[in-house]
Amino acid sequence: MDAAELESFREFVDNRSSALLKTAVLLCGGDRHAGEDLLQSALVKAAGKWQRIDEPEAYVRRILYRQQISRWRLKWRAREVTVAEPPEAGAGALDAAAASDLRVVMREALSRLTARQRTVLVLRYFEDLPEADVARLLGCSVGTVRSTTHRSLARLRTLAPELAALGPPDTVRQPARDFSPVEVRP
Amino acid sequence: MNVEELVREALREQADEQTPLRAGFVDRVLVVRRRRRNRALVGVATATAAAVAVAVGVPLLDSGKHDESPAGISQQGGDGAHPDQSPPRDLIGAGDTVLAAYYTAKTHYTSGGKGTSVRTYWLLDQKTGTYKKDSRWSFVAVAPGLKTAAVLERNLPAGRIGLLDLATGEVERWIPVEHGVGGLAFSRDGNRLVATTYNENPDRRDEEQPTVGGKRKLVSVYRDAIRSGFYVLDVASGQGSWSPVARDRDILGRKDFAFSQAGDRVYSQIIGSQDGMQQFYDIKGKKAAAPANERYLRSDVGARLSPNGRLAALGLTKEVGGSPGKSYSSIRDPLTNKEITKVRGGHLLAWVDDKRLIAWERVTRLDQTYRPQLVLVTIGSDRVVPLSGVSEQGDNTGRLEWEPVFARR
Repeated sequence: MDAAELESFREFVDNRSSALLKTAVLLCGGDRHAGEDLLQSALVKAAGKWQRIDEPEAYVRRILYRQQISRWRLKWRAREVTVAEPPEAGAGALDAAAASDLRVVMREALSRLTARQRTVLVLRYFEDLPEADVARLLGCSVGTVRSTTHRSLARLRTLAPELAALGPPDTVRQPARDFSPVEVRP
Repeated sequence: MNVEELVREALREQADEQTPLRAGFVDRVLVVRRRRRNRALVGVATATAAAVAVAVGVPLLDSGKHDESPAGISQQGGDGAHPDQSPPRDLIGAGDTVLAAYYTAKTHYTSGGKGTSVRTYWLLDQKTGTYKKDSRWSFVAVAPGLKTAAVLERNLPAGRIGLLDLATGEVERWIPVEHGVGGLAFSRDGNRLVATTYNENPDRRDEEQPTVGGKRKLVSVYRDAIRSGFYVLDVASGQGSWSPVARDRDILGRKDFAFSQAGDRVYSQIIGSQDGMQQFYDIKGKKAAAPANERYLRSDVGARLSPNGRLAALGLTKEVGGSPGKSYSSIRDPLTNKEITKVRGGHLLAWVDDKRLIAWERVTRLDQTYRPQLVLVTIGSDRVVPLSGVSEQGDNTGRLEWEPVFARR
């Protein structure tokens, strides 16, 4: 990295690190330290190829998403994996809670999703990316994005029965087949 | 609301709560990268050495000297940044601009809601690079070069001005004055001193009647002007003259004089319709026109003109929401008042060089209480480098918990 590249890298980090950190923390289920580590690791990788990167932000984001999922994969192999079925809609519904309380419940539930499930939700609902873009970023098919989204939302309802009081999802279609793993923690 | 909408809201709320990364994050990334690269190089070197059976003693591993220091402290080029310290304990500065001192102000109440706002100063000990409390003084002005400070003793207005040797902490010389002095400021070259004279202690306060649901605010106790004029003194000889200034009925408390850039005039803040602007006086104490390059400056923006004189630092001009909110101040052509650019920072305090300034910048959202920290900002960059911890709101004098005093090395 020559002086000009170094300056450009510093400028990029100064200007974009706050926004990137938000995404990184969300990908890590709200864990700030893990988010900083993830971002640092992605930036270290980007710095190594800085002179060859045309769109730094897109590049760093892609590393963030993929790295987070591959980190989880390493851990996931050692875990027991079963398939959980979502509960019936409306079952276990509680009295209507305040919106802020529900958001707290939602955060907790999001933090308990698998990294892959959370990444898909962050890309779809925080970054507002269309399914095709999510598929391209994660290197999978659009069908997998759909099924993972569906499974993730269902999983949130399982983790937080309070959410059953909410209306059904608008857009999620049931996939014909779904092979995406769902982690169940004891 | 359905689950998708709640996911969206919960994620956005969580994202908005994230405070910015601490200073030095980019340095940490570069250190890690360098370390990894060096490890890889060492691996290659070791393999080669084994193959040819030759010892390679090149110390390629990072020594750790460049490791990120606690709380992102950067000491490059003599800069001091301590984003974890408020009030500061260790030297804060950038380039040749140094936080030479800071003070806190507390109101000592007497009776009937009346009181006096009393300052306590912490001065930079240049040997240890730390700030040390010096309770002897009610007012301190630090000369450029950081060798000397002009000080006033506890009871204001003071009957003598001390010239404090900042290396020894002892007063080298006293300059006795006939008219009581309440405020001091050095000229740009440090050779002269303007001492503002008052008939009464300019920091006496009275508690204003509380507004409905509002806080009790302190206002001046006086009902008539108390500022009488100013001395202009030669620091080396202690010689100089006093000039009376016509009483301004709006000036009921402290409004100290300071030198113009060229040193041929003095100015002080205007109170009233043009609050924050400045009135210039000639050395004889007569109202005078502003110098052409200082006509549009504000007395409440401490940074004033850049070292090369081509840029004027002005006030807050734009705020952008977020967590935290971003403030931008105006950088203008001093001769035309035309905005050249905007620079980060809500309150520009001092120039570091012709591109960088030290400023207060908020760490809170725009809808939250204003809480600022000292930051280094650069013209043409959105980058903000924290230099200090956050200064909270002080007592009801409208000041912050601690206020900085800058000087050039």
